[in-house]
Amino acid sequence: MSEQAVQEVALRVALERAIARKSDEYDQSARRYAGQLVGTKLDKTQVRGLETLASTTDKVSDITDWLKLRVGRDAGRDRWAKEGIGRDLVTELEGLRNDAKKIVQELSQRDPDLERQVHLRLCREFLKYLAAHFEYLKAEQER
Amino acid sequence: MSELEYLLKRKQSIAAWSDRWQAEAARFADGHRDLLPKRITNAQLYGLGNVVRSARRYADIERFIRHQAEKAERAERIDVQGYWNDLKDALGKLRSEAQALLKTLPFPTGMDNREVLEALHRELVGLYVQHLIAHSLYWTPDQEESRRGEK
Repeated sequence: MSEQAVQEVALRVALERAIARKSDEYDQSARRYAGQLVGTKLDKTQVRGLETLASTTDKVSDITDWLKLRVGRDAGRDRWAKEGIGRDLVTELEGLRNDAKKIVQELSQRDPDLERQVHLRLCREFLKYLAAHFEYLKAEQER
Repeated sequence: MSELEYLLKRKQSIAAWSDRWQAEAARFADGHRDLLPKRITNAQLYGLGNVVRSARRYADIERFIRHQAEKAERAERIDVQGYWNDLKDALGKLRSEAQALLKTLPFPTGMDNREVLEALHRELVGLYVQHLIAHSLYWTPDQEESRRGEK
């Protein structure tokens, strides 16, 4: 294996570790959002839909556009627009860019797109927790 | 560069562009916030989205926007006419964005440069309009409060 390939693998390993560490920190915050979301009329397919979108898209903007549209369409203000939950979530997800920036800075990487890719990964991690907590709390609520 | 490498690089470059330009499209929406949603309706925005998604040429999108501007002019809605003219300019300028992006993508031989540019321009327009519609429907807190107050 060439020196360059070894460095590439080392970077990937360091990156995965940094993302995993940061991801663990999102558990509590995601749980709080899930607690708020169960107080809306949203069902688990809608929250799962957001998680699925995040895991399949290659753009952070697709995730925030999806949420913005649903906030805008929620005329009854009993789903994504209830008590500003959707708006707070957009702000939260956009704010994960700062975490991505720190991770990339610590790795001293020059790839100009890496920060964006890490940001997308962090959004996926956050929404994975959110969907899991939401489903759990929803099931508890319906029991 | 193989065709597969080209396609992957193209996909990544477009995704990065889209994330970078979301803020620009949001600024356009915020800059015309006073026209939303009564002068420029959600139905008109969805109509724009449908045209952009189905257009086979950029000229079809431009024709739709020009038609909207002309309708507004006939109805003496100067502000609405201004909206569509501003949008036509904003989307037209994305052609130079497509050109700049293409320069970073040395594509395989045998592809028609003009066709590639046209397709990329349409794709960027589609992403810009996606951001524009999402942000236009998304109310700012101040307006949300004033809307609640009106009820």
